[in-house]
Amino acid sequence: MTSNGSSLPTQLSPPSSRRSILRELFARPASALGTTIFLLFVLLAICGPLLAPYELNQQIYSDARQAPSATHWFGTDNLGRDVFSRVILGARDILTLSGLGTLLAVLSGVTFGLISGYYGGLLDELIMRFFDSLLAMPALLLALLLLGILGPAVSSVMIVIVVVYTPIVARVVRSVVLSVKTKAFVEAARIQGESLWRILFREILPSVLPALAVEASLRFSYAIFLVASLGFLGVGVQPPSPNWGLMVNEARQHVSQLPWALYFPAGAIAIVVIGVNLMADGLKRVWQGGTVGK
Amino acid sequence: MKIFSETTFRLHKKRAVSLLLLITILALAACGGTTTNNTPAAPANTDTSSTNTTTETNMEEPAMSHKGVLRVAMQPVVNLDPIAISSDSEVLFANHVYDYLVDVDAQSNPVPRLASGWTISDDGLTYTFQLAEGVTWHDGSAFSAADVVWTFNRLRQTEGTATADLYANIANIEATGDLEVTFTLTNPNPFFLYDLSDNHALVLKDGTEDASTTFNGTGPFKVVSYTPEDRIVMEANETYFIPEQPKLAGLEIIFFNDDTAAIEALRGGQIDLAMRMSTSLFQSLQEEAGITTIDIPTNGFDLVRLRSDRAPGNDPRVIQALKLATDRDAILNVVQQGYGAVGNDSPIGPLYEAYHNPDAQPPARDVEAARALLAAAGYDESNPLQLTLHTPDTGNRPDLAAVLKEQWAEAGVEIELSVEPESVYYGDDGWLEVDLGITGWGSRPYPQFYLDVMLITDAKWNESHFADTEFDELAQTAGTTLDEAARVQAYYNIQDLLIDHGPVIIPYYFAQFGAISNQFDGFTLKAFAGRTDFRTISYTGE
Repeated sequence: MTSNGSSLPTQLSPPSSRRSILRELFARPASALGTTIFLLFVLLAICGPLLAPYELNQQIYSDARQAPSATHWFGTDNLGRDVFSRVILGARDILTLSGLGTLLAVLSGVTFGLISGYYGGLLDELIMRFFDSLLAMPALLLALLLLGILGPAVSSVMIVIVVVYTPIVARVVRSVVLSVKTKAFVEAARIQGESLWRILFREILPSVLPALAVEASLRFSYAIFLVASLGFLGVGVQPPSPNWGLMVNEARQHVSQLPWALYFPAGAIAIVVIGVNLMADGLKRVWQGGTVGK
Repeated sequence: MKIFSETTFRLHKKRAVSLLLLITILALAACGGTTTNNTPAAPANTDTSSTNTTTETNMEEPAMSHKGVLRVAMQPVVNLDPIAISSDSEVLFANHVYDYLVDVDAQSNPVPRLASGWTISDDGLTYTFQLAEGVTWHDGSAFSAADVVWTFNRLRQTEGTATADLYANIANIEATGDLEVTFTLTNPNPFFLYDLSDNHALVLKDGTEDASTTFNGTGPFKVVSYTPEDRIVMEANETYFIPEQPKLAGLEIIFFNDDTAAIEALRGGQIDLAMRMSTSLFQSLQEEAGITTIDIPTNGFDLVRLRSDRAPGNDPRVIQALKLATDRDAILNVVQQGYGAVGNDSPIGPLYEAYHNPDAQPPARDVEAARALLAAAGYDESNPLQLTLHTPDTGNRPDLAAVLKEQWAEAGVEIELSVEPESVYYGDDGWLEVDLGITGWGSRPYPQFYLDVMLITDAKWNESHFADTEFDELAQTAGTTLDEAARVQAYYNIQDLLIDHGPVIIPYYFAQFGAISNQFDGFTLKAFAGRTDFRTISYTGE
């Protein structure tokens, strides 16, 4: 049994290629919309500097406080910065921060989940009870506490995402590991004397992947929201970063006069979070719903 | 290195605590508090240990001469003991429950309050005050000179308070009659009357034990109830010693964490007066029916300061380059929307007409000259000057920081911003340690205050760590000479000196805003909003 693929229970088998995932995502209108939105924002994040008509922090004093117009599509803020350019350039900021943070959270969650589920016993208890204690705190509260200790910086926000989401990912991974580790192919690998590393990552991990992909995409959308929320509370990234949450916070005190400076970044947060959520929902149906056989 | 990391850890622990507080506040209010132009002149006191209580006194039917209740929006109070007050709301509360011995009017002149008059000896060392007659405490007992002596002894003898420093020059306080008090000074102090009118110097009853929970004043209003985080309800003092005052039947201080919410409440008629608001909010009220808006110039300012006792600020060319790279007119127009006045890098602003030198102006913006100075100091494109600009998140300070970052970038200076909640910025005195910071300083009736606490060597809040013997001598002269011409000259020289090599940039002096319902008459806004006097406000509505 060198290839675990053939020995996998059928309900855990992921679609064969990325193309088929995309095709299935686009088969349903809601997930098609979500995926389109997500891809559009990814495009913005990549090409933002080419599309933005003004520099990120360019302050044109004479144009300050202007309503949306042909020169400034989303208007300007109180310091004469082009809101359209900042919203576009903010896409990269928020997607990379929450994307990288989610990736790290998934990596560490997978590691802890595999170890905890596979070993069981006291180690499992220790890890899981510690994670439970982390989960007992609301995510935002935990994030604020951590940021208070770490100090406001981009790296701190990243650490916050990892700490807040690792337990959740670990729990999901662990639950799958628990159901898989007694299966014959794992037993077989163990009897064959394969290394622990190989058993965990080559035999067990593939079974975890579908659930993990869904969890990761959900975490990603929550991470976007968390990053924006922290920006809004003024404890995450520092100005003049184009973090949408921070832009909303800065625009808040001018809302009666410059509502556009608030509505556009707030709308961007809403749209991207909804988009990623719809996509995550679609992924769930593709990877789990369609094949679980219920 | 070890000390550094310990300090950092303490700072972060403090941050954590402050953030927990922030969360609590966020949970209580829909939105977090922000913004105003008016900070306490003393940096915010983040001590929250004072106990909050509710005090009930007997409600009395207001007499016919008192009419209407003024509802004022203010930020929540933390300290109510006059010795520890600092914010607008705390001072406003105390200013109406108690009386100052000497008050300061809207034109910054010392005026009688509990003191009906005074005489000053020729050597400027002995001040004798005659006290007003017919003054009674809210509990009915009579006011006497002993109360004044007790109050000022407490203020000057309580360790670790701002007033202990302020009144260190007092040699003796004595009741020289039932209604006469004599202060003897060690050295002449031409500003002593202003010092006596310090925000904390409200007269308490002799032997008051807990001034943070019992409010037995002589002032125009009596406390009916205090509900923490909600409001303070006060009623007119029927036996106030000044006839016909107060004109109102009652006063309510209603707490708002959020200025936007306060202004909405003003629009909706739930409050009658607001004195803390951003420029944007103030502008949005301009065409509002039924509301009168007032803006007055103040000497309050946002101070940008660079530590001068270590690199890079110990090279005078660096601060000079930053001054040259700063466009003050643009800052006033963009950050303050034109309200207030352009600053000249000295705390002696145009409001102090006699002492302000209109000809002392910082050099006009010259980015190339700034670059040249920086190059001479060893900073160029391959080795740019990099600094973190620390700033509290209140008022227009984050905007000021964002604008400075861009303006200085043109001269090749790379600035990182660190915007922190105000309680974190001032917590643990971290603001006194950082290299580059923005601090809000509230308006004061006389300029010597700023020099004494902010700029003389080893001053308590010498955030720029400025140590200049020439400056110290000038400040000493200005603060002690009884010769007015010599004082004016000293202040003029100080302005020149600060423009030449002072460690501070003062880009603007801000305006104080107020907005009041049309149903009230006789409102005079003061530069320090907390000292605004409601005794003469009358209700004209139905």
